[in-house]
Amino acid sequence: MSSNRPTELPFGRSLDIEHTASLLLARRDGDAWTDADAVALDAWLEADTAHRVAFLRLQSAWSESNRLQALGAGLRGDGPPPRGSWHASPFTETRAASVAANNTAVLAAPKRFRIAGLAVVAACILLAGWGWRAYQHVDAASYQTAMGEIRTLPLADGSRTTLASDSAVEIRLSRGERDVALLRGEAIFKVAKDPGRPFVVSTNGRRVIAVGTRFSVRRDGEDLRVVVTEGTVRLESGPEAGNSGPSTLLPAGSVALVHGGDVLVRSLALADVERMLDWRNGLLAFRDTPLVEATAEFNRYNTRKLAVGDAEAGALRIGGSFRWDNEEGFVRLLEQGFPVRAEYAQDQIVLHSR
Amino acid sequence: MRYGAGMQAELDRWFTDEILIHEDALLRYLHRSWRHRDEIHDLRQELYVRVYEAAGKAFPTQPKAFLFASARHLMADRIRRNRVVSIEPMGDFEPSHVLVDEVSPERWCGGRQALSRLGDAFDQLPDRCREVVWLRRVEDLSQKEVAVRLGISEKTVEKHIAKGMRLLADALYGSDDAARPVRSARKQVDDEQQQAD
Repeated sequence: MSSNRPTELPFGRSLDIEHTASLLLARRDGDAWTDADAVALDAWLEADTAHRVAFLRLQSAWSESNRLQALGAGLRGDGPPPRGSWHASPFTETRAASVAANNTAVLAAPKRFRIAGLAVVAACILLAGWGWRAYQHVDAASYQTAMGEIRTLPLADGSRTTLASDSAVEIRLSRGERDVALLRGEAIFKVAKDPGRPFVVSTNGRRVIAVGTRFSVRRDGEDLRVVVTEGTVRLESGPEAGNSGPSTLLPAGSVALVHGGDVLVRSLALADVERMLDWRNGLLAFRDTPLVEATAEFNRYNTRKLAVGDAEAGALRIGGSFRWDNEEGFVRLLEQGFPVRAEYAQDQIVLHSR
Repeated sequence: MRYGAGMQAELDRWFTDEILIHEDALLRYLHRSWRHRDEIHDLRQELYVRVYEAAGKAFPTQPKAFLFASARHLMADRIRRNRVVSIEPMGDFEPSHVLVDEVSPERWCGGRQALSRLGDAFDQLPDRCREVVWLRRVEDLSQKEVAVRLGISEKTVEKHIAKGMRLLADALYGSDDAARPVRSARKQVDDEQQQAD
């Protein structure tokens, strides 16, 4: 992190750099970009990390602006629409430019769009073709995290997912569906609203279905835990489970525990539910939690495992917030505050009652 | 600093996906902690340099926490170097705020927010710039075609595009103006205090 060169930029220099970066990007975006320009650009980027970060930032914003196409679907071919028309259009909520939505946009657009006659019809036909291709498109990706790693991923539909330690998901986004398979571990999903395209997390024969909300799904072998912190999700048995058991609606504040064919739903205060997802901030929160459960939580994040030596120690109830990457600190606190003695072995720490 | 091509691409992607998305929260933090508004652009840039170069050695496991910790160090360094600066701004980034902003809600609504922001950001562009960006980005005309359509030079089109990029980046990632709703700033502080407790 320390650097040999003076770390402070001359006052205002960052604005100059940003300006140069934007001109280079604009030129590259144009028609007269040559190989020599490319070489010069590389050299400029190499010269100073300050150049590179400014360039990356603008480049990323410019490629993001490509989404204007989705926002503006149905309005093409006639220059920019009047300001503020985004708010009147459905596209601010659902950027998925489905064919149906295109039609809505044409109807909702100002009169001149409607009476533009043939041009609009032609544009619609083109759009329908474009829309159909987009409709067929499937975005597939799989992600996993190592032990002790937490990772937040932006998904192509505007949703986000945060993977806990040692977790894996497979994501398939198509025009009609958003499917996520949770292969192991736990993930929080912040789902972008898209009523036409349910967001389905399937794991171990169960399906958790949401439209726009925030929830987490966690898989422990055969067991499943769903925590809802915003909106409502539906929990149902998947087709592969054979029986189409009753589906359960889970409003915000619900914690559903699935064990075999049983579903247990608890309703908690939102703050308590949020605490269950504190791991994303590097914390594990316990409240009146048996030590045996707390150690299991730590073990999800650490290769050096905590083990409970006897039932008496395992039954001790603890509370508080602890950093999951500070296992030893947790053990020291236990030794100070509880009748617990720790025995350090190579790849585990055993907790005994004393 | 030089990296292999693969490493460079990975660093670039990491920086875009893990760091830039926090710019909004970062700027609010800088605005709260640093009273010289006109220095914030430089501060942000310098911070990105530090973070990028640090990641070149080893990727931080928690990028956001790392970004904010680096911001604190940078401000502390500047104060140490700049005796003229009053001690006042220290208040906001002392160690009790170590967990600052890890709770920021933007992390959760980033995607959707960015999208509706894009519409707003686009609408805030000056007329000509807005028109150029629309034709290039949505109607997919080349810069040359845009120039012909609007009857202006290609050089001018290029300048409008460059300007459009800068304005869009500010609007998308977080602008330098501090015109954020007071309520959310307040909430942020509450959240931090909870975290610090």
